[in-house]
Amino acid sequence: MSEKIRTIIVEDEELARNLLKSFLKEAENVEIVAECENGFEGVKMINELKPDLVFLDIQMPKITGFELLELLDHKPHIIFATAYDQYALKAFEYNAADYLLKPYSKDRLMEAIDKVAERIQTEGTHSDVAEKVSDYPREEFLDRIVVKDRHKIHIIPVDQVRYIESMDDYVMIYTPDSRYMKQKTMKYLEKALDHRNFVRIHRSYIVKVEEINEIQQYEKESYIVILHDKTKLKVSKTGYKNLKDILNF
Amino acid sequence: MDFKHPFISNPKLVIYYILIWIAIITGAVLIKWLAYGFEPGIAVAEALALPFMFAIIGSSIWYVIKFSTLENNSAVRVVLSHLIAATIIVFIWLYFGIVIIKLLHPYAGQWIENNLAGNIFSGYMLYLTYVIFFYAVNYYQGFKEKVRNEGKLKSLVKEAELHALKSQINPHFLFNSLNSISSLTMTNPDKAQEMVINLSALMRYSLKHDQIDKVTFSEELKNNTLYLQIEKVRFGNKLNAVFDIDEKCLNAMIPNMILQPLYENAIKYGVYEATEPIDITTRSKCNDNVLEITITNNYDPNSISKKGEGIGLRNIRDRLQIIYGNPMLMKVEDNKKEFTVTLAIPQK
Repeated sequence: MSEKIRTIIVEDEELARNLLKSFLKEAENVEIVAECENGFEGVKMINELKPDLVFLDIQMPKITGFELLELLDHKPHIIFATAYDQYALKAFEYNAADYLLKPYSKDRLMEAIDKVAERIQTEGTHSDVAEKVSDYPREEFLDRIVVKDRHKIHIIPVDQVRYIESMDDYVMIYTPDSRYMKQKTMKYLEKALDHRNFVRIHRSYIVKVEEINEIQQYEKESYIVILHDKTKLKVSKTGYKNLKDILNF
Repeated sequence: MDFKHPFISNPKLVIYYILIWIAIITGAVLIKWLAYGFEPGIAVAEALALPFMFAIIGSSIWYVIKFSTLENNSAVRVVLSHLIAATIIVFIWLYFGIVIIKLLHPYAGQWIENNLAGNIFSGYMLYLTYVIFFYAVNYYQGFKEKVRNEGKLKSLVKEAELHALKSQINPHFLFNSLNSISSLTMTNPDKAQEMVINLSALMRYSLKHDQIDKVTFSEELKNNTLYLQIEKVRFGNKLNAVFDIDEKCLNAMIPNMILQPLYENAIKYGVYEATEPIDITTRSKCNDNVLEITITNNYDPNSISKKGEGIGLRNIRDRLQIIYGNPMLMKVEDNKKEFTVTLAIPQK
């Protein structure tokens, strides 16, 4: 291979970065183009520098490694490096190239890099990481949603979400003060949000149960919900059944 | 079920039993001799033949009551089995009694004629007395055993609860520390060595607490300082530990490893989520009755942490409840900038 693998390290601990760098010195096909101390920086640098490979920690300040993946415009190959083994399955659902458990050896790291080099040869530098994930892969529910609008990253606590509206390939997330657009499917969010609090009332709407003030019949067999702030949302037949199930009426 | 005869398991009972029978036999002999004018030899022979024989044979009634306990058998069965047992025992008793009478008594034939029917009746009566006595002993033994088992169970449960609540060093702390050490071996071997030593001391302390319950505040503090030093290597300037300790308090006693989860939380929710330095401040004050420890950390209000009492805090609360019988010894305050936990540890 003639071209070097352009690599970004996203890792909050200095010592862990140092270790990785000194291991990588001996990998001649790897070139480190940036180091980031947290997920925000990571998103920015990855979108800007479009590397081939990212070393990604999972537990970091601001946003986790997985949340970072959701915010990327450019999709590089990913090698996770973490002390937590419980995320391995999820990492591979995100199509990660490899998953290194700290502390790892130099040989293990080189193995991971060989895997990436192979992938680059067969698939190109553009990975389909995170794009594969249409289904929500976790067992536990989200407690925050990260959204990027142009240059800013917003972290929305799930308890601030009032309702969600689908808009073609995007969803619009409404909070008391604002609204945010995110590239995700309704199906994904329906699975990812706590079923006890959020209910899919229509092809286009997921609403938080406690936001509902009233359910009104406005035609035969057709209903709308009215939220506390008077917003009116359509309810489909299946949606009405879902409401019935969750509210027990 | 324990079939062991109470005379074997409780020798004191044998002594009482013998004393009572000696009193009865002596009494009977004296009355016959002095009040009714029997010849002493005859009085003794009669006493040996009947009361003494029953004293020996009667002790076997224990096994009858053990085989027909009141709890596990119907009343009819119990009564029936006692009737059969009583008949057998009275028969054996009188058979041996008559053998002795015939050997020792000068007027054996006459005696048998006069006393046989009456003695059959007193045999059944004695049997009844024994049955009541043994049931009482059996009931008392069962009761004592139950109390003992309950006590044992209670202390077992308490031990198990304490064991479950004990804070274990988080394995991820270990893995991350080992990764730091791995890094330091290349850049700063002296520091790596120091960290290995600190880590070993901390692990040893956390294992030791299987064996002992309470340690001095100074020992607990020393080991948590180790913990913070190790984390400081990882987090660098982001972690700033501040101690404001009244030296008077250092000899106060405290359940060991009770502070570690508090520091772990401060790191998890404060240091880990922040990009700016976080202060973890420990203060203490004390008097003769109580040691008060306050641990405060500031945190990034924008980071979203889970609300409510996490498992770490709940375990501390439960542990204090079990050790001191008071769940109100821990106070938690959160003013959206700082998180503060106060422990009030009672001193004897």
